Amino acid sequence: MKLAKILRIARWEVTKNAGGVDRRTLGVVVVALLLLLAVVPIVAFSGVGLDDNLYRVGVSEESEFAPVVAEDETFAVIEGATVDDLESERIDLYVEGNQVHRVQSDKGAAAYEELRDSVAAYNERNLRQEPNQSAAFPVEVIVSFEEQTGTSVVVGAPGGEEPLPDADQDEGEAESPVDDTDDGPPMDEDGDESPVDEEDVPDEESADDPSEEEPDDTGEETRTDETDDDTATGDADDEQEAADDPESDEDHDPADDPATADREDGDELTGPLADFLGPLSDDGMSGSPADITPPFPFQSLVLAFLFVLPLNFVIQAYGSTILSERINRRGELLLVTPVSRTEIIAGKTLPYLLGAMALQSLLAVGAVWLLRGEIGGFVSILALIPLVLLFLGSTFLGAMFARSFKELTFVTVTITVSLTSYAFIPAIFSDIDPIALISPLTLVVRDLQTESIALSEFLFSAGPPTLVALVFFSLGAGLYREEDMFDQRSMSGKVLDSLAGPISSKWHVGLVTMMLIPFVMVTQLVAVATFFALGELAILLLFIVVAVTEELAKTLHVYAAYEHNRFERTAGSAIVLGAISGTAFFLIEIAILVFQLLGFTELEIGEALLLFSGVITGPSELLLLIPPLLLHIITAVIGTLGAYRSKGAYIVAVSLAMLVHLVYNLSVVMLFV
Amino acid sequence: MIVARELRKEYGGFVAVESSSFSVAEGEVFGVIGPNGAGKTTTLKMLAGLLEPTSGTATVAGFDASETEMRSRLGFLPEESPLYEEMTALSYLQFFADLYDVPRGVAQERIHETLDELELDHRKRQIGDMSKGMKRKVAIARSLINDPDVLIYDEPASGLDPLTTNYIIDFTAQLAAEGKTILFSAHNLFHVESICDRVAIMNDGAIIAKGDLDALQEEYGTTTYHVYTTVDLPETVQKNGQYCRTVESMAAVERTREEVLEAGGTVTDIRTDESSLEDVFLDIAETEAKQ
Repeated sequence: MKLAKILRIARWEVTKNAGGVDRRTLGVVVVALLLLLAVVPIVAFSGVGLDDNLYRVGVSEESEFAPVVAEDETFAVIEGATVDDLESERIDLYVEGNQVHRVQSDKGAAAYEELRDSVAAYNERNLRQEPNQSAAFPVEVIVSFEEQTGTSVVVGAPGGEEPLPDADQDEGEAESPVDDTDDGPPMDEDGDESPVDEEDVPDEESADDPSEEEPDDTGEETRTDETDDDTATGDADDEQEAADDPESDEDHDPADDPATADREDGDELTGPLADFLGPLSDDGMSGSPADITPPFPFQSLVLAFLFVLPLNFVIQAYGSTILSERINRRGELLLVTPVSRTEIIAGKTLPYLLGAMALQSLLAVGAVWLLRGEIGGFVSILALIPLVLLFLGSTFLGAMFARSFKELTFVTVTITVSLTSYAFIPAIFSDIDPIALISPLTLVVRDLQTESIALSEFLFSAGPPTLVALVFFSLGAGLYREEDMFDQRSMSGKVLDSLAGPISSKWHVGLVTMMLIPFVMVTQLVAVATFFALGELAILLLFIVVAVTEELAKTLHVYAAYEHNRFERTAGSAIVLGAISGTAFFLIEIAILVFQLLGFTELEIGEALLLFSGVITGPSELLLLIPPLLLHIITAVIGTLGAYRSKGAYIVAVSLAMLVHLVYNLSVVMLFV
Repeated sequence: MIVARELRKEYGGFVAVESSSFSVAEGEVFGVIGPNGAGKTTTLKMLAGLLEPTSGTATVAGFDASETEMRSRLGFLPEESPLYEEMTALSYLQFFADLYDVPRGVAQERIHETLDELELDHRKRQIGDMSKGMKRKVAIARSLINDPDVLIYDEPASGLDPLTTNYIIDFTAQLAAEGKTILFSAHNLFHVESICDRVAIMNDGAIIAKGDLDALQEEYGTTTYHVYTTVDLPETVQKNGQYCRTVESMAAVERTREEVLEAGGTVTDIRTDESSLEDVFLDIAETEAKQ
């Protein structure tokens, strides 16, 4: 490949597309982007303000609630309002001293609830400003996640097995002006027709500025009261111990807990958006009881979404440019220039790869700065490369198969949904389940959350998508030729063309066999997910799927190569190619075994792969690898002996190979299980 | 310069080209003619390296058609050549010059020279805003950007108005005069006849006849003789106050002359009509169809 030509095509790709946008459109886009850039930070930091001035409130000047109401933009303070204005519904609430009166309506009830929340938030803010934080928050609860079986986790105090019993329901009157555990204002029991309901509120003492109050037991009760949350579970004794001894959290060695060890190694989130994301996330592994949240990974969700979303726009543009080369034979003339199709594809892909990576890098560095207030995110950038490649690779292959922009739309939507699911969903649970590592986005989320990432984890996460992306590009390149690009060739014909594309020597047959392994694995995993509920029948069905997919993976490309006259159609060549293909398939299985022995046994994916590869699980039983090796070679040769003859012969031969494979697998199960 | 040996192209079960063999010498203009679906374009694309032959070999300028080096020596003009309409003619041609590794200075000089010869103005206009004839001229200029030894032109004047068609045919003839080896396909046999040294006639994917035009005419064509006399003989028609008998051999002419003398008249004129390439083509096609 000549770099100069790739760069020339890349530059042409950029200028060509830029030339298609007139200046007016460009101006509109620039203005829209500037507006977006201006609006996003405002919205991010101040919210959209849909609730502003929603409730009208009258408040007496001497009331302790006056500053609460004034600070909450949800309330509009109506000057000069009196309690009588409730009747005419000029106001929704009237606060007189510690008495809160409300209109007896849904809106009045909602306004009252909002006031309760507002008071709680007001108290929380004041408590956080207290110089003596241990006095302000005398009870501290540590939440740790413990791995149970590899996929499920337990939320609770360290070593805790029993759920935390409900704390006392005492009202924190000493700390809160309004009791936020109250069940709300009762209605008049006597059916008073007055629309106004008078509600008791805490006395003046309780409404005092908490920051001015000495911490005492009452305060502890208040905080305990706030832990009356179903999500805060754990051992009550442990928790009490933690509350009694402020140093108790140091007794818990975070390193003992793999789920928290990395996090403890990380830095605190101190950037501008740390407060925005931090408390809402499961990042609050320790802190005051009020910080305890369910393990809903809000931060992971936001970060994952942030990186996946732009890729969907990039692939739309990329898919369009690939397909536009095929419409009306526009790309034909490139094919007669002294530039290889690999250079053409690389050149056309490079701007989108660089553009997407620039965008992703900006997001990664920006996210690090916003969360931690520093320049970083380089691990994230590295981890994003496979994801970007996977999006582009699958789009490229899809665009090579699509015959119109209508079909391309279907392709890109499918890619968007499937790859977003693949990348996004595991990343949400990045610090809950190790299986999340199947998505490279998990690495990004963990990096941004300042967790350490082992090299093996990086390779496990980034390796497969990179390989799959390269396979997609390779298969797509097989179709980047006159016959497939510009003619309405059948889908099966295109599949054969794409498989035959990378094959120009017998060793390439083995390479393509290895390339097809990921697809075999995915199909088999889908089969597991589909059949697992069927009991013993599932085993038979699963073995059928295994036999079908593996035999096709070993021989279909050989048949395609024969159809493209890549090899001489002789029995001798068929035997050689079958042996190479079968051996290559077996070697990948060995690689999977080694991979598992290296320490991924805790992952279900590793177990699942081994289960279906028919490989044993112990190094002392390596001799038992010979039968599966022979199986793969023999069945592959059976298939290729049909492939070199004709389509009909191949169908018969590969069916026979599948049958042999199935019988072998069932025999192994019956003998050893 | 161009050698096709037993070229065969099969799409599934459909044979588009079968056993096509011919060669084109350096500096020669070779025409491929035939009706739609005859296999002309497929043949040309196999020679240009765009299509992989199912069997047989294609060699251009000493290289196998599948080799990248061959493409540096080739200028290919497809029947329909949609251009990148977002680009200007100049940027489009410069882009291709870069792909052919033509130095910038040389490329600029060549681009302007060729566009001058093709009388193409508005070079900075986007190609999408150009007329069909202008686009075709840009496509021809692109085929010449690497100063190729071999040109393969597929229906170069297809779909153009007569004026532009004549201009392009003349330009192609000029290229031939400059020593380029040209393989040329066309529906319009007049164009082929006017610039080609040799032709191959294709029908149903096979070459049914090939050779130089004179030889083809001799082999497949006929010469018609119109003998004008002063006397009315059998099988004559009256034309311009004279009597004319049409015969197809010199022996028949001699017999007619003797008949005229016996009748006391004189032969006033003998005119000949030779078969055109179109007549030859139609005759061959008709014969093939009967077989």
